Amino acid sequence: MATKAANLSAVTPRPVKEETPLSIILRRFRKHRMAMISLGVILVVFIISMFAKQLAPFSADDLNVSNRFGAPGSVSADTGKVHVLGTDNIGRDYFSRLLYAGRISLTVAFLSVLVSELIGIVVGAIAGFYGGWIDSLLMRFVEFLLTIPSLPLLLIISSMLLRNPDLIPIPAPVLNILGKVMLLRPSDARQAVLIVLVLAGLGWLTAAQLMRGSILSLREQTFVEAARSLGASNGRIIFNHMIPNSMAPIIVDASLSLAGYIVAEASLSFLGFGIQDPIPTWGNMLSATQTYMYDRPWLPLIPGLPIFLCSLAFNYIGDGLRDALDPRLKT
Amino acid sequence: MTSYLIRRVFQMILVILVSAAASYALLNFAPGGPMSGLRQITQNSRFRITEEDFARIRAYFELDLSVPIRFSRWLIGQPRGPIVIFGKELFANTPIGCYKEIQATVQDARGNFSVKTIGCSEYVYLKDLVGRRTSNGVLRGDFGNSWKLSRDRPVSNLLVSRLPKTIQLSGLAVLLSLIVGLPLGVYSALKQYSRFDYIFTTLAFMGSAMPTFFFGILAIMLFSIIPNRIGWFYLPAGSSVAVRDYAVPILGTVKANSPLDAALHLILPVLVLTIVSVSGWSRYVRGSMLEVLRQDYVRTARAKGLVERVVIAKHALRNALIPFVTIVVFTLPGIIGGAIITETIFSWPGMGRLYFLALGESDYPVAMAVLFLTAVLTVIATLLRDILYTLVDPRIRFS
Repeated sequence: MATKAANLSAVTPRPVKEETPLSIILRRFRKHRMAMISLGVILVVFIISMFAKQLAPFSADDLNVSNRFGAPGSVSADTGKVHVLGTDNIGRDYFSRLLYAGRISLTVAFLSVLVSELIGIVVGAIAGFYGGWIDSLLMRFVEFLLTIPSLPLLLIISSMLLRNPDLIPIPAPVLNILGKVMLLRPSDARQAVLIVLVLAGLGWLTAAQLMRGSILSLREQTFVEAARSLGASNGRIIFNHMIPNSMAPIIVDASLSLAGYIVAEASLSFLGFGIQDPIPTWGNMLSATQTYMYDRPWLPLIPGLPIFLCSLAFNYIGDGLRDALDPRLKT
Repeated sequence: MTSYLIRRVFQMILVILVSAAASYALLNFAPGGPMSGLRQITQNSRFRITEEDFARIRAYFELDLSVPIRFSRWLIGQPRGPIVIFGKELFANTPIGCYKEIQATVQDARGNFSVKTIGCSEYVYLKDLVGRRTSNGVLRGDFGNSWKLSRDRPVSNLLVSRLPKTIQLSGLAVLLSLIVGLPLGVYSALKQYSRFDYIFTTLAFMGSAMPTFFFGILAIMLFSIIPNRIGWFYLPAGSSVAVRDYAVPILGTVKANSPLDAALHLILPVLVLTIVSVSGWSRYVRGSMLEVLRQDYVRTARAKGLVERVVIAKHALRNALIPFVTIVVFTLPGIIGGAIITETIFSWPGMGRLYFLALGESDYPVAMAVLFLTAVLTVIATLLRDILYTLVDPRIRFS
């Protein structure tokens, strides 16, 4: 055996470096220049939001009504600190609010993606695996909801939840942890969680369709048959064999819908049916400035820019991931 | 074909009934509404509202009837009184709700007090419904009365007054998007990897990533506020016509409510809507055109020696447009409530803004009417799409 191996290595002087699937994906992803730049942008935004508390010169709620609409770069009279981006309509530091808002907007978007993809995976897997009337019932429902314009539905559901926030009980530990993540009081975190539920409640539809599609094709494959012949239960086949094998489109969908959720959360807050004012988000900062933009045109630009940047960046990352994970999906 | 259509119409009716029930449920469980705050007024010494007043107001909004009866009256406008068969009144004394409720304050496990209904002191009977005002039912186009926006006036009046403005805005935007988006997508696909294609795809990508509200605000800033400040030609933003005459450089004085005024107000919202959908649609057309151009039959057509124009127009484009039909048809339900953001930013007096205002003011009958119409139009659009599919592509059969 040993001599045989030695012979073989003598015949092939340059050993072929083996590529793991992950490194293939990484190599393909790195080729997408815009996706790499976007990844950098998102990382920067992330790090800034992570250290919002340390970076922000003021707290998000520090208000000074006598110092309304301070120009960018003006100096606070009380503390002597500089308002880098000026102050808003009730004299809160715009820059600090922007940092805190980033933390909340990003958390809401990520949580919404997490929740909606989970629902989508489970519903899609059940529909695809069991087929029959469960499948047609679930999928007709999904199709109908997909064809209805989503914004009116989002608005009405979130307006009802916001007026009646105790309608859905949310466990206190969840609120405490998320409050820490978003630097909010637990009572304020409830609002963010409700928005996540609203967004995810209508956002799982595409994921379910994608999942169902891949489960349908996986159902016929031999490894599923093998698992079944070994006596694996339905649940084990679905969760251990099928779902891990159909993650590629889900991952692409998740990164694209991150962009969608950032815009959707901002749209809801912009229209006044999202997270409400004392809690800063990019959307409601933009909405609050709409009245004053005739005299101070920089006010809406400042929160608008990160929304646009994040949405663009997540779109590019999704595009790059699609190229990397499954080149056939490319349009 | 006929049996297919009949089956589809039955399905449509079913879906419409289900969405009517769903929207009615939302309307019913919605917080706020006409009774909120009335109890507080009863404790105010200046305006004393008696139990009798309270019951009358509840009856006025039909809140005293039980939910199935209310739903049926909302949907088809029945029952309006005892059922009369051969001159005999049936079920006249069937209780269908509670006129005066007995309420009590209870304390729950956590120590919070809440008011709960524990009984009924005066019932409503079917015979009491005679002479009460009723809507003719949603299915007959009567959505009841508005609660707030135009109090006690029919919702349908509101809808009818807003609809033309929305059709004007959305229709124009859809038309323009088609005229601009289709050729852009096709041209960009034909010249794949050219400089034009590169610039176009980047712009389209940015356009579809750009949130509409930010885009609208930018448009107002760039074309309205800033030019106005420095005395250049600017476009008015906000509402659909001006209240009083205003002066615009180059054009001179614009008369309020004149066609020119309306046209000037139309430009910005149409521009925003158009650019948003152009960037989505043209990317879509480009994608499906590229897909089709790779097909064998296109190569065959070229090999036959057909002129490139014919290959593109007759063989490629027609097939590339089949999936696109879906997207265009589904702008139909979007017309009712789809332009909410754009209409809100530009204060455009259309359906989207009506919906937005109705939600803000808790005027749920109006909101529900918009939502219900959206659902109905969605169902119609689905049927339309399937019929159009068979027209564009004879290979697809009804099934």
